Amino acid sequence: MNVEITGAKIFLRLPFGILITETQVNMWIIMLAIAILCKWLTHNLKVKPEGKRQVVAEYLVNMSNKFVTSNMGDRFKNFSPFIGTLFAFSLLCSLSGLLGMYPPTADLNTTIGWATVTFVMIVYYKIKANGLGGYLKGFMEPIPVLAPFNVLGEFSTPISMAIRMFGNISTGVVISTLVYAALAWLSSLALQWLPGVLSGIPVLQLGVPAILSIYFDLFSGALQSFIFCMLTVLYIAQASKGD
Amino acid sequence: MPESLEFLSLNFWSPLMAIGNLLILFLIVKKFLFKPVNDILDKRAKEVDSIYSDAEDMRTEAKMNKDIYEEKLKNVKAETDLMIKSVTERAENRKEEILKEAAVEAENRKIKAETDIKLAKKKAVDNIKENIVDMVIDLAQQVVEKEIAEKDHESLIDDAINKLGERV
Repeated sequence: MNVEITGAKIFLRLPFGILITETQVNMWIIMLAIAILCKWLTHNLKVKPEGKRQVVAEYLVNMSNKFVTSNMGDRFKNFSPFIGTLFAFSLLCSLSGLLGMYPPTADLNTTIGWATVTFVMIVYYKIKANGLGGYLKGFMEPIPVLAPFNVLGEFSTPISMAIRMFGNISTGVVISTLVYAALAWLSSLALQWLPGVLSGIPVLQLGVPAILSIYFDLFSGALQSFIFCMLTVLYIAQASKGD
Repeated sequence: MPESLEFLSLNFWSPLMAIGNLLILFLIVKKFLFKPVNDILDKRAKEVDSIYSDAEDMRTEAKMNKDIYEEKLKNVKAETDLMIKSVTERAENRKEEILKEAAVEAENRKIKAETDIKLAKKKAVDNIKENIVDMVIDLAQQVVEKEIAEKDHESLIDDAINKLGERV
């Protein structure tokens, strides 16, 4: 019995250490799917909606607009497409695990990248609200001795966001790998009296992983996407208020 | 089997690619989902606004028309009142005229009748006068045939009868 838990498969090694891994490819597939979905949903829009398609499109856009404006205020309405994209992308990345793909969000590289975007925005809005001097002075409070901790605290925001999402989604991958392996082992144990190939059929793998998948892929995936977006929205809104 | 990354691994390019992918997808979603849908929502809001303002315009116009018609109706009423008044006045005048004419006519007829009556009376008196003269002469003849001569006494009797006629 040999269970191996690895990250994404590497498909291609390009110069300068660029890796084309399963994460990238799956992301591209999901991006394509989202692009096609958007194009399909907004095909032939009418002022008086005629089909369910337009209702769905309007519902999604309104939901995103409402989420952003209710948490950040009306002046951040422009953020709605970004937050909507972030949510849809991370959700579908996590859910791709259901199709047997390697979820791109189970790769720390992905979540670090996205959290960096959030971090840059937070810093940008903090500087915009307080000025560069005000922002840097903020690290000296309440006393200058605490500056190293404040800097740590600043960076802990994106790191905790990245690791939170990575941890939750990759846990699902790990657990489902372990469960599959365990169930295969259990069923071969239970069926070892059968002759030949029959004993190798992992019957116990049927059903049980699906229940776990509902929690780890569906629930956890949706929840983590929501948390990631919520934190992004709240941090940026807070940063823009100034101290 | 292709080689894999370590379960927990970091490299320089992959996060950048994740960021790039996120930004590209952001542009796609913005262009293909949010922009058209927001445009449609705006358009709908504008249309609804214009429908409302049209309705408001129409209401104002209807109210204006109503006022105009009410004013007109009022004028019509005043006009009819005036007409009725003038007609009544005319009728009244005509009535007065007719009554006056009738009165004049009646007066004329009365005068004529009175004249007629006077004439008739005079005629009757003359008639009676003559008859009485004859009768008295006749009587007198019979009564005083022998004593009085017809010629002597005729003027005497005429006087008496004339006095009688004046009294009649």
